[in-house]
Amino acid sequence: MASSPLYIVLCSGEHEKLQMAAMMASVGAVSERPVEVFVSMNAILAFAKDAPAADARYQGGAFSKLLKEKRAPDAITLFRQGKALGDLKLWACSMALDVKGWELSALVDDLFDGALGLTKFLSDAENGQFITL
Amino acid sequence: MASQLLDVKGLNCPLPILRAKKALKDVAIGGTLEVLATDPGAVKDFEAFCRTTGNELVSSKEEGKVFSFVIKRTS
Repeated sequence: MASSPLYIVLCSGEHEKLQMAAMMASVGAVSERPVEVFVSMNAILAFAKDAPAADARYQGGAFSKLLKEKRAPDAITLFRQGKALGDLKLWACSMALDVKGWELSALVDDLFDGALGLTKFLSDAENGQFITL
Repeated sequence: MASQLLDVKGLNCPLPILRAKKALKDVAIGGTLEVLATDPGAVKDFEAFCRTTGNELVSSKEEGKVFSFVIKRTS
């Protein structure tokens, strides 16, 4: 059954929003809904390959503490599972990479499908459901 | 009886659905998977999962605080 694709713009670096994006992306993908995630602004910092351990990678508020205490699944792991089990693509915002002076190789391995400009992402998203976090 | 069993008791959303999707890949078409879960949202989640993936939810039961679902892989 073909569902309308889901397009997520992820720009917050807050743990809670990264976690929610990872949950939506993975559940959408395994529910046979194509999902594309455009990662920009502070969010891209959480995907740095050289980021410290998970506890320091994900910074947030009260609920972030609970997620860590309860050992909720790691957001990057959820994105990876969504990719393995469904049609999920992650794009790194080309502007964000440029401003940081990063290449794609600065981001965690085996997650991003490439770098993309916002104009292309918005154009692709014309006929899908659009969510910003 | 389902041909395969997946125990995701104690796991919260979205892990039961992700594990079920993975387990269904190893079920033959026409075969069934039984899932045991305790996530409070699991009943509605598995109904929706089967609807969107086109698999058949053969049964959905609650015994104590454990939900059990039998899913038939249709494609």
